[in-house]
Order: sequence, then C-alpha cells, then structure tokens
Amino acid sequence: MALDTYWSGSDKYLCDPQLAQSFHIARTLGMPLLIEGEPGTGKTELPLQYAQDHGLDLFVYPTGSKSNVEQLVARFDHVKYLRDAQFEILDAQREEKGLNQKSKSHDRHTDRLEDYVVKGPAALAYSKANSVLLIDEIDKAPREFPNDLLYALSHRKFIMPESGEVIEVTEENMPAIVITSNREQELPTAFKGRCIYHYIHFPDADTMREIVAKHHPSLDDKTVQLAMDIFYQLRNLGLERSPTTRELLNWLKWVKKFSSEEAKEKIQQLEGLGVLIKTQTDLERIQSQILRHPDDFHKRSTPN
Amino acid sequence: MFASLPSALREHGLNADVRTLLLIQKASIKGLCKTLGDVYAILRAAVVKDPKELGPFTKAFYQYFLQIDFAPGDTLLDAILRSETFKKWREDNLDRFGDDLDVDELVDTFLSEVHLTSYDIKEILDGQEIWNNDSGDVEDEDGLDTDGESRLSKLEQMADYSGLSLEELLERMREVMKQQKGKHQGGSHWIGTGGISPYGHGGAAKDGIRVGGTGGGKMARMILNDRKYFPVDRDRTINDDNIDAALSALNGVMEETAETKLDLPKTIKDGIKRGGLFLPELEHHQHKKLQVLLLIDNGGYSMDPFVRMVQQLFRKMKTRFAHDMETYYFHNTIYDRVYTDAARRKSLPLKSLLDKDPAYRVFIVGDASMAPYELSKSSMDTYRKMSAQFSRIAWLNPEKEKYWHYVFSIQVIRQLIPMYQLSPKGIEEAVREMNRKSI
Repeated sequence: MALDTYWSGSDKYLCDPQLAQSFHIARTLGMPLLIEGEPGTGKTELPLQYAQDHGLDLFVYPTGSKSNVEQLVARFDHVKYLRDAQFEILDAQREEKGLNQKSKSHDRHTDRLEDYVVKGPAALAYSKANSVLLIDEIDKAPREFPNDLLYALSHRKFIMPESGEVIEVTEENMPAIVITSNREQELPTAFKGRCIYHYIHFPDADTMREIVAKHHPSLDDKTVQLAMDIFYQLRNLGLERSPTTRELLNWLKWVKKFSSEEAKEKIQQLEGLGVLIKTQTDLERIQSQILRHPDDFHKRSTPN
Repeated sequence: MFASLPSALREHGLNADVRTLLLIQKASIKGLCKTLGDVYAILRAAVVKDPKELGPFTKAFYQYFLQIDFAPGDTLLDAILRSETFKKWREDNLDRFGDDLDVDELVDTFLSEVHLTSYDIKEILDGQEIWNNDSGDVEDEDGLDTDGESRLSKLEQMADYSGLSLEELLERMREVMKQQKGKHQGGSHWIGTGGISPYGHGGAAKDGIRVGGTGGGKMARMILNDRKYFPVDRDRTINDDNIDAALSALNGVMEETAETKLDLPKTIKDGIKRGGLFLPELEHHQHKKLQVLLLIDNGGYSMDPFVRMVQQLFRKMKTRFAHDMETYYFHNTIYDRVYTDAARRKSLPLKSLLDKDPAYRVFIVGDASMAPYELSKSSMDTYRKMSAQFSRIAWLNPEKEKYWHYVFSIQVIRQLIPMYQLSPKGIEEAVREMNRKSI
C-alpha cells in the first residue's frame, strides 16, 4: 500500500492528533472515515488539505436533499443514447435517398453502451489509484442514501449501469474516503458500522491559538489573544448559533487589514461582529448586554 | 480472550460484535496494533459511533483491559487509585519515581503510558533520528553513534508488538487473566512487566527520552479532566452531571407527524387567476406533538433530592420544545386524587385525570417504597385504571434496580406499571418501550 503513511496536517492545516490517527487507521484498513462535529471545525478541510499536500486527485460529492447513489457512482445517459439512436435512423433514411450523411461530431457509438455511462465522483475515484473521495454533508441526503451506499462501501467495486462494466479497486489502491456530517439527522447504525468514526470536539484555547497561527501567521500574539478572549466569551453566552473556528478565522482575516493598534481597537469595539454572529436574535442579545454592562464586558475581555 | 470483548462492550450499551474482533485482527495484521494505546484508538474508532458513547466506551475499555472497576459515582481518578493494576504499576516503577511525585502526576503518567500509541513512539523515534543525524561528524563520534543506534533499536524492539501474532497476544492476555482470577497476584501483567507499555519497566525512560509528552499525555489529561471522555454515568440516577443525557433520551417522546391537507383559500385564489380552472392546492403540515403528564411523588425525605432534578429535567424539555405538559404531585402512592401544586393543597380528582386524552404519555416518578398497608386495594385499582387509560405509561424509580427486589410495594407496582430506573439509560428504555405502543 503506497499511501498509508501517517499524515498529521500541513503548514496550513492543524490536524488534531486523534483525528490524524483515525484517518490513518481508516486508510490503512481501507475503510471510509466518517467525521462528525459542529459546523466550522474543519471537517471538510481534512481531505482537501490531505489531497493538496500529497498532490492526489480529489473527487468531491456535495450531498443535497435530492442526492442518490446514481449521481455518486454512475448513471446511464438515456437522453443522449436516444438522440444518437434517432440520428442513426435519420442517417439510414438519408442514405437510402442518396443524400450525404450528417457528420457526427462525437465519437460515441450506440453499440458501445459504455460510451453513455456518466461516471460520478465515486466511480472516478475508484478508477484512479490512491485518490481522495469526499462525500460532504451526508446528513443532508435522504435517508435511503447512506443505506444505498452500504454495498458500495463494503465491497471494493462498482458495476456500471447498462454496460455492466466493473470498476474494481485493489486494497492497495483504495482511495481515501472521507464522509462528513453535521448530525442534522442520525445516520443508520449499519452505515456507521461500516465506517471509522471520529467526532471533532471543539478545539480548546491552546489548539485554537495554533490554528490561528497557521492561518494568520502575521498577526501578533496580543491581537490574537484579545480576539480569542472575546470569541470564547461569546461562545459561553449560550447563543442560538455560537461562533465557530471558521467565524473566528474570518474575523481575524478582516482585522488583519488594519495596523496592530487599530486592530486591537476594532476588536475591543466588537466591530465586524456580523462575521461572528449570524442570527438577529443573537446580535440583539449581545448588543443589549453591552449596553447594560459595557465596562464589565470589556474588562473581562481585556487580557490581564 | 478477546472473544469476550464484544459482550463486555455490549454490557455498556455499545454496539460490538464479531466484526469488531475481525477489525482488530485486520488492524493487527496491518501493524496498527502495537500498544494498548493503539488498541484503544482502533476500538474507539470502530465502536464509538456517537460522542455520548465515548464515556461508556472508555469505562468499558478500562474495565476490560486494565481491570479497573468503577463503583457507581466514581470518578476515573478514584477508580484508578483503588485498582490493583495501578498499585502494582506503582510498585514496579517505584525506582523510577521515588516518593516525591504526587498522586495526580502519578496517575497522569500512568494514563500516558496506557494511552501511548505507536504514533507517539514514532514521533519520539523520529525526533531521535533527526537529532542523531544532526550530530554530524560520524568519524569522530563513532562510539556515540552506535550507542545511539543500539538505543534506537532497543526502543523499537520494545515498542513493537507487531512481531507477536494475535494468538500470542491473546495467549498473553489469557495468562494475565488467569493469574488475576486465581490468586491475589496484584494487578495486571499488562503493565509493568513489559506488557502494554514498552517503557513501563525502567528502560527507555532512564535514557532521558520523555515519554508521553505528545499524544499519550494529552490523551490522559483529556480523559481525566474532560467530561466528554468520562462524563455521564448513564446507569446512575440522574444528577446535575447527566441531566443532559437524560434530556436527550427524553427527546424520543416527541411525535412528528406530517400530513397533507387541501389548502382551500389558495385553491380558490389560484383557480380564479387561471380563469376558472380549479386545481387542488395542497398544503404540507408538520406537527411536533408532545403530550406529557408528569406525576411526582414529593412526599417524604427519600424523594427530596430527586424532585428538584426531575422538575429541572422536564422544565428543560418544556422550554426547549414548548409543549403540552402537566405536572401533578402525590404522596407515596396515588389513591383517588393528585395535587396540582407542590405543597399538595389544591387537588384534582383522579376521575379528571383519567378523562384526559389517552395520547398523553405518563411518567410517574417515585421510589414506590411504602408500608404494605399504604398500598391499598384502592391505590392498586388506581394504577390499573391508569395503565388501562394511558397505554404509554412508565414509572421512573430513583432507587437502584438491584434493590427493587427487596421492596414489596415495588414488586407489586411493577406488575401494574412498567418500571424503569430514573437514569438516562432507564429513561431511554422507557421512551423506546412507549414508542412501540400505539394508542
């Protein structure tokens, strides 16, 4: 197996050692890795960064409410097939009348059914050795979707529709499959049983500092500390939608545009709060809190 | 000996079966199982399918592999300190620590060694390698270099269990278990005599390589301090710590129904717009329904500590979903009335209670322990009538299930109303049972 080396993150991505271990276990055993966790904790980032870091081919399947396994694996393009078939009849008729055949602009042939198979991300990933396949936000899919996937996951092959072509992958070349979920709905137990499971817990302050340092190395410690104090304070307020890693990073990205002194001022004044807080009720709540105890809020948020 | 692992895990309410064993076997063939920390990581990845299972899993793991037993309400620290395994480990390593380490640090080191994975070892080795390569002048420091090398290989040998086949590994465990059961040998051989921890018995640690500084150590602190790892005791009567788990168990009582209805105004409006062509417009309704009757025994000292918890639990549920929930109180047992206030001044006749919609789910919370004469025929009739009216009824008892057997009144009431322990697990079972019954 070429790619079962341990990968612990890149200079852009801080991979929690436990997640890295789970990922390694999953790859070594040739099983998919199912990552669950709060939104914005870097679930999707893992396969993206991994593929980029190793220069591997990445196939992404974003799941939606209408997803089905056909889209993921392969489907047969009946419309194209019908059209080509009709063209053939037309050509035959024209030939009979001694007219020129309409030149075909494609190299498909109706006798070759495999020409009409449209391969989805999974089939493509399986036909490419050591690629990375990401099935994003599987909890958004209808309930049948994970169940239908079971077969594909427990065997290392797909059978293409109509053409019957078999795409098989050896255990050595098995792509690294990562599935993410926000836990909007419970996934079937049988499905979870086929996966290596990892739950990303919200990073603690130390880890968060490292994550911030990876993304915004130019920011000085004091500014970061200030922003993080406020960030964790906001998280402790018990808001409807607590800000997550993604929001903090975006906020700092904006703050970075200013000089260090200005930046601190901006953070103190909670400017650009819209990046952190995403619902109106939360925003109102924070504003009323600041109005009520403005000193208190700032005192607590200033590093001592 | 691993053969009993799935059942040991299942006892803690986890999903494990023969496939779990096959997975470990596969992993060990692939060279993933080299230390006990590895076994923990792989089992966790294979067995834990929900964050709330992390606690029970960790507990089961410690019980199975380290014979660390948990008394109800134990923290991990208590359990470790009490266990023979830890005592033995401490004895074996006395020369390493001396007497000046305090208990917390000792436990921390112990856990670091338990959770030391081959990844950590790899990291240490990598560091060592880099250091060795950096110290350039090979000719000059020939001696030192070989010394470094031998140290390395020694380390590697000690760390690596992949040489052992699974059978050998099992055999070793079996022996350990036998000794454990036979006579008082004191602790597990997994730790100390070259079992789990390659560093346990002096050796590498003396060479000045700090063990467990990375993943293993972090893991240990995580498990000790983090509620996510050693959180909720799901078998324990609800308390401040596990109330949230109980709440999530209760979520199952919500009924979601979706129905499609004819949207008459829209049909007419659109029909007119179409110039008289009326097509039925449908409207989708989603209902979340929750009807709960809560009957709490708030008489007597025995119930005092639980009344607050139960009220808090159901209040949390109510604020979260805003539903139809009514709370009544009684003293010891229900005769012909229940009370609408906690002081039991305003009463509601039983008849009105029984007139309620049978779709209500009824939770009776009480210890059901009383003198035999208190549980009169009229009271028993009350319970009979209630379970006839409300098919989805459950008695939640804060008393531990193993003591139920000794209380006569519990035995009787159990026959009339299904009884569960007032713990997250018990509530979950009660809800599951309720959901199976139709109205």
